[in-house]
Amino acid sequence: MLTVFVDINSVSQVRVSFDVVSAETGAEEGAPVNAGPNPIAPEMKELVWGAGSFIVFLFLMRLFLVPKVRKGMASRYDSIRGDHEYASATRDAAQADVARYESAVAEIRSEAARRLDAARQMLDKERSEKIAQVSAEIAKRRSAAEAEVAAARAAAQSQIVSAVTAVTTRATQIAVGVSPDASVVSRSVQQAMEGASK
Amino acid sequence: MIINSVLSFEFPPINELLRWRDVVPGLNKVGLIAVIAALVGTLLFLSAARKDPKVAPKGTRNLAEVGVEFIENNIIMQTMGRDGLGWTPFLLTLFVFVYLCNVPGIIPFIQMPATARMAIPMFLAVLVWVIFNVQGIKHQGFFGYFKSVLFPPGVPKALYILVTPIEFISTLIVRPFSLAVRLFANMLAGHLLLVIFALLSEAMFQARDKILIPIGVLPFFMLVFLTGFEVLVAFLQAYIFTILAAVYIAGAVHPEH
Repeated sequence: MLTVFVDINSVSQVRVSFDVVSAETGAEEGAPVNAGPNPIAPEMKELVWGAGSFIVFLFLMRLFLVPKVRKGMASRYDSIRGDHEYASATRDAAQADVARYESAVAEIRSEAARRLDAARQMLDKERSEKIAQVSAEIAKRRSAAEAEVAAARAAAQSQIVSAVTAVTTRATQIAVGVSPDASVVSRSVQQAMEGASK
Repeated sequence: MIINSVLSFEFPPINELLRWRDVVPGLNKVGLIAVIAALVGTLLFLSAARKDPKVAPKGTRNLAEVGVEFIENNIIMQTMGRDGLGWTPFLLTLFVFVYLCNVPGIIPFIQMPATARMAIPMFLAVLVWVIFNVQGIKHQGFFGYFKSVLFPPGVPKALYILVTPIEFISTLIVRPFSLAVRLFANMLAGHLLLVIFALLSEAMFQARDKILIPIGVLPFFMLVFLTGFEVLVAFLQAYIFTILAAVYIAGAVHPEH
């Protein structure tokens, strides 16, 4: 044990003495150790204990301790690596499932779009056909109605002509006492009506 | 007056600071620290080895695994490559032992790094020297190894007169010497610095002249700072010793590197 005695009697005298005794010198406790071998030179007992300790420690570490710690580390790393590989495989499988699902969804969407297009085309076609059919029916009915109107108009016109002819003939007979030719009167009335309608 | 006081401070002879009485016959403090270092290292790894490796590591198991990975990733893979992983037990033992011999320099009431004495650094350096030479001879053959050491390829033949003696001295003589002295001298210097500032602080705090007492705070702060610095030095010296051992072994096994 290193013991330090400090004796400070005055500011100008600070003295420190050490009480260390070396086993080699055999000096008594309390006496300063200046003698003995070089302090830098290795002492045999330190060499023996240091070397012995290291060799025993190395022997234990080399044969038992490090291999056991290393084995434990390796087994845990293998386990972690296995878990990691399992996680990777699971993730890959999940990604494949997702890809399959997305592919199926895309296919279904494509099929739906295709069916929608077909339905739309069919509806367009049906609508066009219906429109054409209705248009034709309308045209047919319109032409029939027009023919009917024309016939009615012609009949009405004929009745008006005959009535006006009769009135005109009778008025002329009353006025001048001579009955005019009915065909001439009728033609004149017809010309007058045609002129008025223009 | 203060300067006179400081200048009159007498530092003890270095022999008194480094040589210790026997705790029991044939075993002094430095030897005891080496034994405790080996014991602590063994108990640490024994405790780590007994824990369930399947669960997340914590405590001693975590410390041991961090040590193993530190040696493998930061020393072996950097110097020897994957082929050098077989050296993990030796280099890990070397690192742990040197570190645990360094650290007592800052532990209160122990305050002596075992590596601040020459015996342990010298033994470890000689061990590394023997190992890298044996490995070199084993992998390259006797003549092949000494040829690669003494006659490095790519050097003009005329320069071998100069290079060969230099390589002989640097590789076969200076390497173990520098390896041992680097560790020993760093730890000894740190130990002496701590002693100097501890003694100076104590002397000033106990001075009769009251003006010296507040000034004693300065060496005390320096003592605290250097104690923290020695924590770093203890780790760094263990790391340097181990990585140089790995570099020497790798150089002997794979001279092309």
